[in-house]
Amino acid sequence: MVQSLSASGVSVSFEGLKALSNVTLDVPREKVTGLIGPNGAGKTTLVNVLTGFQKPTSGQVTLDGEDIAGVPPHQVRQKGIARTFQSGRLFSDLSVLDNLEVTGAGLGLSRGVAAKKADDMLEWIGIGHLAERMAGGLPYTDERRVAIGRALMLEPRYLLLDEPAAGMSAEEAVELTRLIRRIVAEVKCGVLLIEHNIGLVLNICDHIHVLDSGEVIEVGPPSAIKASEKVRHAYMGTQADAEGEVL
Amino acid sequence: MAERPSILARTWSTPVILIAILAVLALAAYFAGSNPFNQTIIEIFIRVVLVVGLYVFIGNSGVISFGHIGFTCLGAYMTAWLTMLPAIKKSKLKGLPDIILNNKLDYGWGLLAATIFAGVAAYVFGKVLMRLSGIAASIATFAMMAVIIQVYSNWDSVTGAQSSVVGIPIVRTVWPYFACAVAVVLVAYAHSISRSGLALRAARDEATAAAASGVDIPRERLIAFVISGAIMGLGGALFAHSVGVVTPDTFYLGLTFITLSMLVVGGMNSLSGAVLGVVVLSIIIQLLRWLEKGVDLGGATLSLPLGVQEIAIGVVMIAILMYRPSGLTRNRELVWPSKRLSGGTKASAPADGKTA
Repeated sequence: MVQSLSASGVSVSFEGLKALSNVTLDVPREKVTGLIGPNGAGKTTLVNVLTGFQKPTSGQVTLDGEDIAGVPPHQVRQKGIARTFQSGRLFSDLSVLDNLEVTGAGLGLSRGVAAKKADDMLEWIGIGHLAERMAGGLPYTDERRVAIGRALMLEPRYLLLDEPAAGMSAEEAVELTRLIRRIVAEVKCGVLLIEHNIGLVLNICDHIHVLDSGEVIEVGPPSAIKASEKVRHAYMGTQADAEGEVL
Repeated sequence: MAERPSILARTWSTPVILIAILAVLALAAYFAGSNPFNQTIIEIFIRVVLVVGLYVFIGNSGVISFGHIGFTCLGAYMTAWLTMLPAIKKSKLKGLPDIILNNKLDYGWGLLAATIFAGVAAYVFGKVLMRLSGIAASIATFAMMAVIIQVYSNWDSVTGAQSSVVGIPIVRTVWPYFACAVAVVLVAYAHSISRSGLALRAARDEATAAAASGVDIPRERLIAFVISGAIMGLGGALFAHSVGVVTPDTFYLGLTFITLSMLVVGGMNSLSGAVLGVVVLSIIIQLLRWLEKGVDLGGATLSLPLGVQEIAIGVVMIAILMYRPSGLTRNRELVWPSKRLSGGTKASAPADGKTA
């Protein structure tokens, strides 16, 4: 059996406007796959397709060989594909512990067992001290870590991180890198990392897909992406030159 | 790290406090021994049942329902059918099935049947309605109530249409009402700490993230809708036995308005809010009723025009919505003081603020 989360030939159009056209992407287990591209390239739409929030107009989405296009989001999560959101989207009226427990409840655990797992997860991430805080008032970085913890409950097979480093300082981004490495090594899931922080992506990813105007324009290891003329032209050219320096 | 106490161990004081408040009211009625006061306390217990019933769905799901009083109507008529004397039924409600026409059950069975019947009805309606969300769901619940009330207002041979159904056995002692209010508080508490309650509150905060966490939102909403519908049915049956008369009009906008106001004033998202809202607004209603009747002030009689009650409730609700939208309880639960039991403990504030 193929151990990967894949989109093949996926297209999504909204009222005739093509958000994704014929996108093929593969997220293998125990690897970090990067997804980069300028704003509006369709990155989040692709994540929505992979997690059941957006039904593709055409094309296939497979989870370890099983077709999951059109499966509703909560079932996609139950099958082992977890995600985070750009805007955090914590349950602000609930405590941090309860935020994680919700995933346990959604996946069928009793509250007692869910609380135990949530406590263990918070400890594992290193934010056990936040357990009883209300999620609504958390600082930005903690909010991100809680969101990752919530997604990691019960060890999903795949984890899709939508711009986890947005708004983080350089040090915080380094810490995030370390966390993602631990997730791959210890939880053994396949990670899809959507990020604007190119340095972070080149540093951590095994394989990178570059999306532009709804199409994959380049695929390869970081070295190939760094060297790619097409990427430099389409993506870096539109960004500030400062980001070119990172390359 | 230390083993975390279970959710039950952390929150049990809330139902205990609420039941203690209800017990004080029941004892007051018992020792006062006056009939009007006894009836007032019975009314409060019935409202506690209804408003807690609303809370189970509205508070946990965040979907406002304007139609729950429809289930109250179902419950009231169900117990009327089962507990009235066969002779009265045969003259007024000829269309009832023979087995109901010819028999008479104790009111306890009436309460049980009303609860189950309303719960089943909530399941049937909920199967369709719970696919909707937000304002569409709210309006659909309103339409549901209109459908129920219209059926009961026009099905002459079974409900007596618009005319009053009289002859329902009246229960004057306070204890059955107290027992039902306590049971309902316990059921609502159990639901709110259950995993279904937790998942539903998560969906109330962030529906998208809840779905991404594996929560089947329509299913969790349906569970709450059925439990709350059943409780509303029980409330309707208690109402029927408290006054002995039911008409479809009793269970329409007036009761919807009062019960929703109580929930809003107390704090929609907490069980404590539901109970306190009932107590506080009931006291206000009682004072105004007393003033409407007229108070003798050394020769001059002060009396308020009729209708002031509803106006006052409306004003209180608007004031709460403006100045304290999370209600008197601020959507928190009452917990035993001096212990940090709630999830809302304020740990030391972080140095770095939240950046947008």
